[in-house]
Amino acid sequence: MSAKVKMKKHHAPEDVVFNIINYTFFILFALICAFPFYYLFINTISKNELVSSGQITFFPQEIHFQNYINLTKIDALGKSFLVSISRTVLGTMLMVLASAMVGYLVTKQEMWGRKFWYRFLVITMYFNSGLIPWYLNMSMLGLTNNFLAYIIPSIMSPYNVILVKTYIESIPGELEESASIDGAGYFTIFRKIIFPLCKPILATIAIFGAVGHWNSFTDSIILMSGNPDLYTLQHRLYTYLNQSTNLAQVVQGTSSIGESVGQAAVNLRPIKFTVAMATVIPILIVYPFMSKYFEKGIMLGAVKG
Amino acid sequence: MTASKSLKQPKQAVDIIGYFLRIVVVFTLICLFVPALNPTRMSELIKENDSFFTSGISYNGIAAGFKRAIDKGYIEQGVLIRTFIGSLTSLIGMIGMAVGCAMTLGDIKLKRLGSKVLGIGGVVGLAGLIFLKLQQSGFSNAANIKKIKPLEPVGAYVFIALLGVSILLCAAYFFKLPKATEEDRYTMPPKFRLFLMMTPFIVLIFLFSYLPLWGWRYAFFDYIPGQDLSMDKFVGFKWFTYLFENPATRADVGRVLINTLAMSGIGLVMSWLPLAFAIFLSEIKNSHVKRVIQTITTIPNFISWVLVYTIAFALFSSDGFINQFLLGTGLANESVDFLMGNDAIWLKMWLWGTWKGLGWGAIIYIAAISGIDQQLYEAATIDGAGRFQKIWHITIPGLMPTFFVQLVLAIAGILSNGMEQYLVFSNATNRQSIEVLDLYVYNLGLGAGTGGTGQIPLSTVVGMVKSIVSVVLLFGANKASKAIRGQSIV
Repeated sequence: MSAKVKMKKHHAPEDVVFNIINYTFFILFALICAFPFYYLFINTISKNELVSSGQITFFPQEIHFQNYINLTKIDALGKSFLVSISRTVLGTMLMVLASAMVGYLVTKQEMWGRKFWYRFLVITMYFNSGLIPWYLNMSMLGLTNNFLAYIIPSIMSPYNVILVKTYIESIPGELEESASIDGAGYFTIFRKIIFPLCKPILATIAIFGAVGHWNSFTDSIILMSGNPDLYTLQHRLYTYLNQSTNLAQVVQGTSSIGESVGQAAVNLRPIKFTVAMATVIPILIVYPFMSKYFEKGIMLGAVKG
Repeated sequence: MTASKSLKQPKQAVDIIGYFLRIVVVFTLICLFVPALNPTRMSELIKENDSFFTSGISYNGIAAGFKRAIDKGYIEQGVLIRTFIGSLTSLIGMIGMAVGCAMTLGDIKLKRLGSKVLGIGGVVGLAGLIFLKLQQSGFSNAANIKKIKPLEPVGAYVFIALLGVSILLCAAYFFKLPKATEEDRYTMPPKFRLFLMMTPFIVLIFLFSYLPLWGWRYAFFDYIPGQDLSMDKFVGFKWFTYLFENPATRADVGRVLINTLAMSGIGLVMSWLPLAFAIFLSEIKNSHVKRVIQTITTIPNFISWVLVYTIAFALFSSDGFINQFLLGTGLANESVDFLMGNDAIWLKMWLWGTWKGLGWGAIIYIAAISGIDQQLYEAATIDGAGRFQKIWHITIPGLMPTFFVQLVLAIAGILSNGMEQYLVFSNATNRQSIEVLDLYVYNLGLGAGTGGTGQIPLSTVVGMVKSIVSVVLLFGANKASKAIRGQSIV
């Protein structure tokens, strides 16, 4: 007893050294992770002239929010925002519903060919047609330059189905049985019993799905080349970063009439950063509240793996 | 005895007809998605990539190529509209067939109704198809045949045959079906009800996971985008040998493979890093601090690579933070654009990957650490083990199974670095060293804007070989895992 108390009170010198080094490392790494976001942010709210001449390093100066107001004036950005929001909401909803439904169906032993269809689904995790055949297939199905291309292909994910299936199998079967004795059909049981019980796992799937939808941009690049109105927000940001001419026009569009080209050039850098902030802010806001679901997600994945 | 036999005999016959009927209907429905069998393709101006289904649901799909032809009066717009009406009608009929076919899985009353629906659907589908076929004269007698380029749609005959067979089978099926009695209801056995609930999802899986494999055929043809894929362009394994025999391509593939393996290799060699991160993070005893650090370090995992690039741009471009800082403190005299150039690009990419993924990668080990039996640590403490001894003798062995699974998966994915990261970070000055296999396939096949040449067959071959090697690696690694640790991972 006394030994334990002693140990708690007196830290060995090497322990102190270890702790200092350990804390320093982690705080430093956390700073490295957080600082870029802070840096982007202070550059969007500081005076644009100061930003362009590189005078904003650690603290904002002459704070204003004009850049964020200007964003609303860029038509293309508004469209992309709408595309990203709709694909995230719609795509995630359908993905969750489908995962829940299929996860439930594959637990039903009496389904015709259950084993075969379950394997038919799971085996798709292990092979991949490759980018080009995938693209040709999408174009064959009329899913190029088509908003549905963002949503329909991602509805079914074998991985999500496995998660739901495993989860349902852990639910006691009696609930379902008593419902079916009461005459409830499969769909009623699914809607009234299974779906509500699966909410935790479905929340995890939904959050991962939503982040995936929000961040996805290669599908936009590959499939939507013919219709800029359907670019996702990430794709839009990508074009702004790469094409200075494109951005110059954007900036021209946002600046008031009579502003010189020089002035437009001044706005270039802050505008880029503001677009970036607009795409990252939703995630930064949602993340702290959702992190437990994220962690649960990776844990379930590990259990499966 | 004889009564039951006589009851059973006709039932079996009707069941066999039913099987054939369903097989034919399902086959017909699959054919809807095969572009080569598109009966509307009566002119080369209709895209060869469109299936009957696509043509049936969108007039634009049919008419897109004819804008000029209509303006110039080479062809009447009416022909196109009638073609569309025909295909739409036919499609609606076939949807009816699908519904009817599903209903034949039910009990007797539903079977009878289903076969009626199926039959009507089949007749409607056939009528639409014949109407469609009649429009062919509109194409072959067009004012300017050279511009319209009429085609003989082979698919039309296939569909007519399939629909005809369906209708005949359906009629036979209907008349063989026993009469429904008073007690019969519109019911279906649970096994088929469940199956029908599953069908839409099976279709989705088929369309987006299996159907793309059909695109592998492009690897065996001399295919140029926008042209037909006819048998006379079949070249066998030409593109496979081309990959090794053409010096330029061989050099390219070699370079890309080295990039891929080097960057994956760095990742593999450093794959202990999340493990170490987790171990040292769990040595922080203040749970609030631990929590905050964990939250902050996992955030980068949830932003896109475009945003990572934006951050890289903000920090490392010639007027970015680092340059401002170095110039401001007098550590450097002129600004350097760290995003340009080929130097240490593999390492830089690994660093960005680590920045994004380290905190996230550690979570799985943090969970595993919390799963280790605390009594082991207590016992070790009593035995006088120090911090590092406990880490070495308890924590690390406890994490090994998790680490091993991660390692095996990483080995299986050695060729699949993904393309997003490398696409956003690539520019003219670093392209030689940053191009990984996935990005190379993209650039080669689709990246027209970035100097790609639209070499569909060659890029298909590369993707195909990659897919096959990846599967072999995965199962090889799994086998190795079984042999070494007696535990399979897939």
